[in-house]
Amino acid sequence: MESIWYKILGAIITVIVAFIVGLTYMGLSRKITARIQNRKGPPFYQNFIDALKLASKTSAIHHGFMQHVGPAFMMITSIMSVLVVPILTGDQWFSNLNFKGDLIFLLYIMVFGPLGMALGAGQTGNPNSAIGVTRGLSQMVGFEIPWVMALVALMMQYKTTSIVDLINIQQEQGVWLMFSSPFAFIAAVLAMLGMFRYSPFDIVGAPTELASGPVSENGGKYLFTLMSSNSIFAFAKLTLYVDLFLGGASNIVELLIKTFAIYLIPMLYGTVSPRYRTEQAIKYFWGWPLFFGFLALLYAAIF
Amino acid sequence: MSTIILIFIIFLGGAILTFLASALKGILKEVLFLASVFVPVVLFFTNISIGQTFSFQAAGFAFQWGITPLSYVFALIVAGLGLMAAIYAVSAMRNKENTGFFYFNYILTIMSMLGILFSRDLVSFFIFWEIMTWSSYLMVVYQGKDVQTVGIKYFIFSAVGAYAMLMAIVVVYSLTGSMMIDSLVQSFPGFSFDMQLLIPILLLIGFGVKSAMMPLHVWAPGAYSHAPMAYSSIFSGALSKMGIYGMVIVMVSLISHIPEGHWFREVIAWLGGITAVMGTLWAIKQDDAKKLLAYSSIGQLGYIIVGVGIGTPLAMMSGLFLAVMHALFKGTLFMVVGAIERQTGTSNLTEVTGLIRKMPWTFLASLFSIIALAGIPPLGGFIGKWMLYESLIVSDHYLLVIVIFFSSTAAFLYCYKFLFGFFLGQEETEWSHVKEAPAMMVVPMLILAVSTFVLGVFPGLILNPINEAMQTLGYANTQGHLWEMSVIFNEWGNQVAMQPIVYTIIGIFLFFLTFLTIKGYKETRYVTTKDISSSGEVPKEHENLTFSMNFMQPFFRAVEPLMRRQIDKYYNGFANGMEALFDFTRRIYTGNGQTYAMYVVIFVVLLLLLKTPFSDN
Repeated sequence: MESIWYKILGAIITVIVAFIVGLTYMGLSRKITARIQNRKGPPFYQNFIDALKLASKTSAIHHGFMQHVGPAFMMITSIMSVLVVPILTGDQWFSNLNFKGDLIFLLYIMVFGPLGMALGAGQTGNPNSAIGVTRGLSQMVGFEIPWVMALVALMMQYKTTSIVDLINIQQEQGVWLMFSSPFAFIAAVLAMLGMFRYSPFDIVGAPTELASGPVSENGGKYLFTLMSSNSIFAFAKLTLYVDLFLGGASNIVELLIKTFAIYLIPMLYGTVSPRYRTEQAIKYFWGWPLFFGFLALLYAAIF
Repeated sequence: MSTIILIFIIFLGGAILTFLASALKGILKEVLFLASVFVPVVLFFTNISIGQTFSFQAAGFAFQWGITPLSYVFALIVAGLGLMAAIYAVSAMRNKENTGFFYFNYILTIMSMLGILFSRDLVSFFIFWEIMTWSSYLMVVYQGKDVQTVGIKYFIFSAVGAYAMLMAIVVVYSLTGSMMIDSLVQSFPGFSFDMQLLIPILLLIGFGVKSAMMPLHVWAPGAYSHAPMAYSSIFSGALSKMGIYGMVIVMVSLISHIPEGHWFREVIAWLGGITAVMGTLWAIKQDDAKKLLAYSSIGQLGYIIVGVGIGTPLAMMSGLFLAVMHALFKGTLFMVVGAIERQTGTSNLTEVTGLIRKMPWTFLASLFSIIALAGIPPLGGFIGKWMLYESLIVSDHYLLVIVIFFSSTAAFLYCYKFLFGFFLGQEETEWSHVKEAPAMMVVPMLILAVSTFVLGVFPGLILNPINEAMQTLGYANTQGHLWEMSVIFNEWGNQVAMQPIVYTIIGIFLFFLTFLTIKGYKETRYVTTKDISSSGEVPKEHENLTFSMNFMQPFFRAVEPLMRRQIDKYYNGFANGMEALFDFTRRIYTGNGQTYAMYVVIFVVLLLLLKTPFSDN
């Protein structure tokens, strides 16, 4: 168990699982959205077909070195997040880097990739990409505040900044943090709407408006890397929410049920909402989510 | 002769010689300049040991010079950055006018900063402080632009700070009869309560001006952006840290020993927090890279002030660590702007675009510094930010940590704006002639940038001297408990281990780089930034697709209410009021002998009128 090779093997399996689950969820979301809009929609495995097609393509052009490595930067964030977030509780095999980084580290490694990716998007010279990036950064300032408030409330209430410790506390107490810190949960869920970038917060990619924003100019392998990175990242974020608020998961079935339940929130909210403008999105996060964030802090301070 | 005095003699002699040699053409004065920075710095690193002192008597005062573990940390900043910026300056200032004057002031600044750190008595501390202020003032007005507004503003604020400090020194002398810093520290707990409040406040005004603390920061944007960039690099990187150095002494050695110290610290920490937010927001709004970096310096110094203000072991460690990191990355960034200004003739982010392929090494240096500035792992800025957050969370500062988080998230906006504005975006034919800056400018930038990476992986390298400094300030040993060579802990025992993280990051990066590059990069051809997807149309060569005006407009629509109030307006209002008052006094003091004679007559008449008729005589 101690060998470094087992560690690497465990990490690779984690990443592959995250990739498959993430792509499946995206496919399911396409299907569900279609059914809500009374369309038939693509099959749920459509994203695998897309990924395969993109991976097998050869690129004819590139826009310079920064654009070339942008997707690799994005991949660093996704894989690092999925390695730092505990996947299964009490598991020896997939502990990966769980004990090497804490919540604050996770918050910061989460912006590493998007920023690197943004630099790549900048080098292409496409104005749509740059506009998308500025929107994304602005929106991030918006949702990061209630999200951090929720996390700070948890950290102060339970006197730890480690995700593993927070899971253990939930198992000892037998109560999910969703119930023992309800305001933090609400603030975090509202912040999640922005994090997942579904409508009404899809202002970064903004289909039909910005021509997919920062991602435009990327094709073939670049787009494949970005797509798989997105799916891994989505899985990491969902698992983080499950770990923090739903008591973690001890086996893969429980994990899938819980993550999908969380995933439904931004997705279903998105299907019935039109797109915000950037400043509207920011102001949205500084309204009720901020209020619940303050309540969460107050709750943590009193109890 | 003691090495300490030798260092200062070489500095002073070097400064004068370089100034005199400015009439000479050629390489001689550059060699003289470099030698007079190099030799004392090398002497400092080889021959000066902590605790070694040098005392002498002059003008009735006892002077004592020597280095303490705390000042050693700051001396590392001054010496290291001073050396790098000096190498950079030689190349950057070549073919400029008045280089002798520049070199003279540069050497004097380095000398006075080391002097401040060496001073163990308040008199030499104040003298060196004034030399530093004067030499930096002369640098602010060096280019001769806006002397009336920017120069005067810097000068007035420095003067206010200096007078406050002088007043504190006089009060201390009248109370203790000694000018030694140590005797002030020892007798401070015995002072009356008024004095215990008055002395720190006066001193903090002096230090707050130099470290650009709210509300004493208004001089900084103008001064940082008007000095030559080679100098701004140490102006923001090292000179502002002198304020932090004084602040650490005041906060730890004086304020912790009074009963109300806790509240005092809270106020300072909150001032730091507000400084961080406002500095960041204004930095995002700037279109001139110099101004952007100047406001960003104010914001970054805010974090340091928060760390020093909170004063728990972790917070103090983060403050000092961030001070070192800020010197490294902000020093580099000002050099980057200087290099770009030299090659293109402007530092305006809305004019220059697409330099990445023309100045790749400069881009690399600024990329490293920006990542460090944003606090993104695995570079050194992250270590400082992490320790700051953890210390705030552990010490129950609920709201302050949110404020800090807001400002450091918003900092990503100007980070991206800086990189995008200069290096990315459309490549315009207007800048197609631009070449990479000379090696003498690029190498110092790269050395500083790489050191941010080294300190990110092995923060223990700099945390070790910081730990020793903190032990002499009365903190417990924190090694193994809050930090190791490449692991950092918080007080609850949670940790971040940098080495496995960095190796994993490098592993992932290399894997995907290979994946993207194999059967890719070589066969693909580079296309210009005009060859992009724009709804099927191919933009022509002359079509302007540059996106740089109103770069963060949507963000400002959201945060506008926060930025409506500006302390600068109040200062200007105050200044206008004072001007009106002086105008009025000028009408009384006309300078005409007849008027004064009339005043005397009126005064005598008034006296006679008011004289009571019933008085004895």
